[in-house]
Amino acid sequence: MNRTLKVVRMQFVNRYTFVWMPLIILGASWAMSVVIFALIPYDGAKYGGGSQAPIWYFFALGIVALSYSFPFSQALSITRREFFLGTMLAALVTSLILGIVFVVGGAIEQATRGWGVNGYFFYLDWVWRSGPFAAGLFYASIGLLLFLLGFWGATVYRRFGPLGLTVALVAIGVALIALIWVITQVQAWPQVGAWMAGLDVPALTGVILLVTIVVGAGSFATLRRAVPA
Amino acid sequence: MTVIEVDRLTKRYRETVALDDVTVSFDENIIYGLLGRNGAGKTTLMSILTAQNFASAGAVRVFGEDPYENAHVLSRICFVREGQRYPDDARPPHAFRMARLFFPNWSQELADELVTAFQLPMKTRIKKLSRGQLSAVGVIIGLASRAEITFFDEPYLGLDAVARQIFYDRLLEDYAEHPRTVILSSHLIDEVANLIERVVVIDGGRILLDEETDAVRDRAATVVGDSDAVEAFVRGREVIHRESLGRVASVTVLGTLTDDDRRALAASGVEVGPVSLQQLIVRLTQHRADQSGRDAAEGALR
Repeated sequence: MNRTLKVVRMQFVNRYTFVWMPLIILGASWAMSVVIFALIPYDGAKYGGGSQAPIWYFFALGIVALSYSFPFSQALSITRREFFLGTMLAALVTSLILGIVFVVGGAIEQATRGWGVNGYFFYLDWVWRSGPFAAGLFYASIGLLLFLLGFWGATVYRRFGPLGLTVALVAIGVALIALIWVITQVQAWPQVGAWMAGLDVPALTGVILLVTIVVGAGSFATLRRAVPA
Repeated sequence: MTVIEVDRLTKRYRETVALDDVTVSFDENIIYGLLGRNGAGKTTLMSILTAQNFASAGAVRVFGEDPYENAHVLSRICFVREGQRYPDDARPPHAFRMARLFFPNWSQELADELVTAFQLPMKTRIKKLSRGQLSAVGVIIGLASRAEITFFDEPYLGLDAVARQIFYDRLLEDYAEHPRTVILSSHLIDEVANLIERVVVIDGGRILLDEETDAVRDRAATVVGDSDAVEAFVRGREVIHRESLGRVASVTVLGTLTDDDRRALAASGVEVGPVSLQQLIVRLTQHRADQSGRDAAEGALR
């Protein structure tokens, strides 16, 4: 079997991190949300932010996939390229599962009128406007992006230490402020606002995936000279 | 056949030079002892040979190729470092299952035997294992991988005497059936002395010695007998070690004994005994430290 695919299997050898933890978080936040929906004395549709919990877990997953597995992958004579590609593939699979879970959950919510209590955990009106397929991809892309942000952060930490990570975060903050300053200088806020408002879910998914690819390229470049210990 | 070539390898960290212009090579199917003090550069050398770390200058070739990002070369090597990090939530069987995926010659049978021999608990998370049990995980991966080049980086840390003996015995046993190149870093020199066929001593980032173990042993001898006779013999020779009990003295001297020496010793009833590899290497290492200290002092005077 291809060594990159073996890295995917390696990441899944211990199901605790990649399978059971996200399922526990998903199940717990869903159950709590439904109970809360049932307790709220309001007859209209109720929405909660509980479904963000499993998505945010992908950020932690990205950190864990690097910091727990990279040093050991080196002991197993895995190249950095194989480790990166295999781990990305594992993240992609997990993100797609997340998307499928959200679509199936949303479909059930619609069929049962919000679990019988008119509460919506998975189904967000604006996300579903372009159909369930686009909604699933949207959730998967957010999961993937968060995974990569965690992964890159952990890689920077491994390679450049806590100081390096702090400097990188400060640099990103400065860059964002510079962007805001430029937009203000050219008085482009109305256009920017209009562009953001005009993004439908597929376009937004595209933007997220584009950012994901940039972060992925940065991660790989950082990982190429990283040392395990 | 040469499997590893190191050519003028230098590794600088911010303030220290871990490896200083090292040129050395390792041959196929030999057990090497990579010996030296803590911080001598043993782990750094092994890390660069396995592409886990990077050279500041110079080159390494493993099976004739650059090991960096080279799956073809790396899949034939195994290096579990001292203080290896494992996935935090993994138990030993997880680690072995992962290792099995990547080492083409992996022997599950040997791994299972070793788990029993080391009495390694299989249901405890790796991060909860004791220091010795953690070492056992690394030793098991190293042995069961049957990689063509296997590195052991101070593999005995925390292992008790029985477990260490199991490691040495199993290594020799498996090596006899499946010859491979083994590079064993250690500072328990006398314990591994009977195991290693060739000695590479590294000190202060430089190769101090690279010889057959037997040849190294011949560089010195221990003479045991009546203290007057022994003292008469060692006069004018460089003494590494001296012990005495009543009228009997045991003195280790540097330098190969000639046939005349041996005849003279036999005539005066003094016996020639084997020398401790550890004593020799400690002495050689100190000797070099003294010399470089003197060189530095002379340089300062000039």
